[in-house]
Amino acid sequence: MRLRGIKRFHYARDVEEALSLLSAYQGRAALLAGGVDLARAARGDLEGLIDITGMGLSYVREEGGGLRIGATTTLTGILENKAAQGYLGGFFCEVLRQVAAPPLRNMATLGGAVVSAHPWADIPTALVALGAEVRWSDEKGEHRASVEELWQGQFRKIFRNAVLTEIRLPAWEGAFAFEKLSRSACDIALLNCACGLGIEDGKIAWARVAVGATPRRGRRLTWLEDFLVGNQPGEGLWREVRDRVEAQVEVSSDRRASGAWRKAVVGPLVARTLKRAAEKMGDA
Amino acid sequence: MEVVAERKRTSVVGKNVRKVDGVVLVCGRPKFTLDVDLPGTLVGKILHSPHAHAEIVSIDTSKAEALPGVACILHHGNVERIPYTTAGQGWPEPSPYDSFLFDRKVRFVGDRVAAVAAESEEVAEEALRLIRVEYKVLPAVFSPEEALADGAPVIHDEEDATGIHDAQHNIAAAVDIPVGDIERGFSESDVVVEATCEIPYSQHTPIEPHCTVAYFDEEGRLVIRTSTQVPFHVRRIVARALGLPMERIRVIKPRIGGGFGTKQEIVLEDVAAALALRTGRPVVMVYTREEEFVCARTRHPMRVRVKLGAKKDGTLHAIEMEATSNTGAYGAHALTVLSNVGSKTLPLYNKAPHLHFHGKAVYTNLPVAGAYRGYGATQGYFALEVAMDELAERLGMDPIELRLKNHIRAGETSPIFEKIGEGREGKPMVVRSCALEECLKVGAERIGWYEKRSRRRREGRWAYGVGMACAMQGSGITGIDMGAATILMNEDGSFRLLVGATDLGTGSDTILAQIAAEVLGVPVERIVVYSSDTDLTPFDVGAYASSTTYVSGTAVLKAAEEVRRQILEVAAGMLEEPPEDLELSGEQVVSKKTGKSVSLSEVGHQATYVVDQHQIAATASFVPPESPPPFTAFFCEVAVDTETGVVRVQRFVAAADCGVPIHPKLAEGQLEGAIVQGIGHALTEELLFSDKGRCLNANLFDYKIPSSLDVPHIEVVLVKSEEPTGPFGAKSIAEVGINGPLPAISNAIYHAVGVRLKRAPFTPERVLAALHRDG
Ligand SMILES: Cc1cc2nc3c(=O)[nH]c(=O)nc-3n(C[C@H](O)[C@H](O)[C@H](O)COP(=O)(O)OP(=O)(O)OC[C@H]3O[C@@H](n4cnc5c(N)ncnc54)[C@H](O)[C@@H]3O)c2cc1C
Repeated sequence: MRLRGIKRFHYARDVEEALSLLSAYQGRAALLAGGVDLARAARGDLEGLIDITGMGLSYVREEGGGLRIGATTTLTGILENKAAQGYLGGFFCEVLRQVAAPPLRNMATLGGAVVSAHPWADIPTALVALGAEVRWSDEKGEHRASVEELWQGQFRKIFRNAVLTEIRLPAWEGAFAFEKLSRSACDIALLNCACGLGIEDGKIAWARVAVGATPRRGRRLTWLEDFLVGNQPGEGLWREVRDRVEAQVEVSSDRRASGAWRKAVVGPLVARTLKRAAEKMGDA
Repeated sequence: MEVVAERKRTSVVGKNVRKVDGVVLVCGRPKFTLDVDLPGTLVGKILHSPHAHAEIVSIDTSKAEALPGVACILHHGNVERIPYTTAGQGWPEPSPYDSFLFDRKVRFVGDRVAAVAAESEEVAEEALRLIRVEYKVLPAVFSPEEALADGAPVIHDEEDATGIHDAQHNIAAAVDIPVGDIERGFSESDVVVEATCEIPYSQHTPIEPHCTVAYFDEEGRLVIRTSTQVPFHVRRIVARALGLPMERIRVIKPRIGGGFGTKQEIVLEDVAAALALRTGRPVVMVYTREEEFVCARTRHPMRVRVKLGAKKDGTLHAIEMEATSNTGAYGAHALTVLSNVGSKTLPLYNKAPHLHFHGKAVYTNLPVAGAYRGYGATQGYFALEVAMDELAERLGMDPIELRLKNHIRAGETSPIFEKIGEGREGKPMVVRSCALEECLKVGAERIGWYEKRSRRRREGRWAYGVGMACAMQGSGITGIDMGAATILMNEDGSFRLLVGATDLGTGSDTILAQIAAEVLGVPVERIVVYSSDTDLTPFDVGAYASSTTYVSGTAVLKAAEEVRRQILEVAAGMLEEPPEDLELSGEQVVSKKTGKSVSLSEVGHQATYVVDQHQIAATASFVPPESPPPFTAFFCEVAVDTETGVVRVQRFVAAADCGVPIHPKLAEGQLEGAIVQGIGHALTEELLFSDKGRCLNANLFDYKIPSSLDVPHIEVVLVKSEEPTGPFGAKSIAEVGINGPLPAISNAIYHAVGVRLKRAPFTPERVLAALHRDG
């Protein structure tokens, strides 16, 4: 049995209370959002659970074409939200619809996904591609960082004493697409890719490309983004992308897939994701 | 569809009546094994081996025993040593006696070392951690090749095991069945093809894991309430394993959350019973999902090589089939699964005069294989039907045409029926019903075979293809399986039906009630079914080998006919007319001559309270002299992503001949469920092991079974035939459906992209590798 040591369960009313409870336990308590990860964690050391879902952090707000999403918003809550459905032509919802299965999405929160940041997960890949920004609070005050910066640092250490409060998705003039390869509909990714493109006068004006589950966590291919800018979208370009990605992206083996297979498919995966993004712009 | 001429009109059989246990299940009323809460129940937990092969040098339980709340700890040092088999099969048991309650040696990672009974799960787990075991680690083998190699460690070197074919060489069982002259057969053939196909470790993943409650009743008899497919075998095997007289044991099977064969095995009942005996208290045991994967049973991983020789016109002339089966650490079902690889496949193509079926079931230091829906036939058909596809191509023939040319027909036989039985020789048998020809026709139409086959579709990176396969199975085990039923009439004209048969979610309680209701002229609601309680119901071997409808159903039919005779006799006295002139229908006994009638409740009342008082009742048994095969033609359409190797099954059509379906919806459900499991075999399911034999993906997060979102559009068609030996013309349907998906999907992939997938599952990785290699 997991979490066998739990002695007390708290409902935090606000961020301050959550923080003071966390500090009182000195590392022997955890914040509980959807709990789908916590329930799988072999944390025999935990004595307290602090439920943070009643702190008013479940919301989705549109702001200047971007989204502000409260950390405890469930994935289903986002999927059912009008603003989220409209954001980037439904791109973020397209990603979330491929996350796990509906019962799990009813519980899992976006904040939990950011804090757990599983290397095999899809959400990190999409957030990196989008250039999402996160906000959190600790005893010193409020902080902000892009998800890329966050995950490059020691983020797990940060969230031992902090509450993630909000995830902000910026506005983009362009289109994004997401592709995932997995063994079954509810499976996690063997490899995933999120791409965005802006096209002006038939040429790529900006590009965002992220690949995840390599098996490492989603990260951007900035060299590819640089290469794409100024080029004309089309089959020739996608072929070039395929070859370059295959030659340059680092992939390796885990239990789910071999490095050889990932190497063989990462090029086509990135190329098809970019192509779909371009198609969404009506400019394939 | 074939119209069965002059079949008697039925009013209950053939109808989709409401399942007798449907309402309680839908309402979530407590019905399952663990839905009891007996005062003072202890929790039992097992200490599993961390080593693949080791001797237990010493066990120190003193710390664990000192832990407050620990009631008892059992291990090889404090229980009697009695060899037995955990396989719940008929008598004489065909599986070797190579298991012990606890042994001095462990043979796979997960093998039993000790068991604890404690006041709570937490205490039991803590106690397991406190048991100190000293092991002498032995070299281990993880494949049949390693196990068969010269100088390989001997896995079963104990002297008291019996029934092992060749323990020194790790061979649990072997078969060698020649018919005709196989070499001559091949040399006389115009075309010869060969295919070797391989299936890995896979698990049944029933939604309810193995679980058992063992306790003592008021008289001090041991009651085992358990999630099993074989209550009577549980009673016999536990009695043997614990050295108890059988009359001291009662086994009750409540509702079950799925079995698929893994519950044809005694994996917890013996331990729970031993703990209850030692402590005198109720003991509950449940496998975790991880234990269910590793310590319950799996399908036998197998490599099957099939060589076919045919004449130019497509007539098969010689078939060789060689199976290398991995039975894991113990020989549960080793011989019989191996036998079924040939016995359930080769008769399908009975035109070949020259046959050779041979193979071995080999011990390895990996989890224990056992019964799993399809039972060897699944492994056999994978290779056979892929080879048939290759043969059709070599002959330039349509695959359906090749099947039509060779498949068995009603009125025909195969020497295999006689040569291979259940762990011994079989019985000669003539197939009396076979609608496979019609199944092939209907299935081909539904999928659009001829037009899709003639032009391959390609859209961008996606390549589309269609493939097909055929299969048969049996209906029960000839001359061995026995099912019995008792029917008693109540004074209100309702009935009690007592059957040993085991409904594991299949709906057999409903089907058996339908058969009784049809004969007795009442609606199903007037039959109260009570099943699977070794104290109260007559014997039945249990739910396996596709037997319940055919074997237990016939027993019910016979019992019902006898009760009907008794009813007519009583009614004859009441109506003063001879019984021959009376008819039973609509809860009335009616005179065909005079039209006079009495109701069943009047008959019941009369017999119970009025004249010549007696209990109207009968018990009947049935041992099948034959095992009529159901037949199925499978067709599927796949899409292959040529860039990544991802395969999607887009459509699946199965046309099946199960005789007369007693309950068509339940029969369709069996077929659909089996196909979904077969798709899992084909695309995702595989247990992975470290180089030390530890299972790496013993959970449903890593081991993927198809979910409702993965299931393609499945169309099943029941093509009726009438099996003259079956109850109301019925044969079986439970297993045959799992035999088709592996070869049909492999053949469809071949049609789509021209590469043959012979190692399951067909993961993106394997498909892409094959495309790069052969494409
Ligand atoms: C079976 C399964 C399948 C999955 N499939 C996918 C998939 O296909 N694609 C994909 O992208 N992801 C997938 N995931 C990951 C999933 O998205 C995350 O596990 C989920 O979003 C976590 O959210 P939660 O609210 O349940 O987290 P919890 O379990 O509640 O928390 C996780 C961790 O984060 C901490 N935490 C939670 N919220 C906060 C906060 N606001 N501030 C600080 N710390 C916090 C908790 O203390 C805990 O340590 C899957 C997960 C599972 C279990």
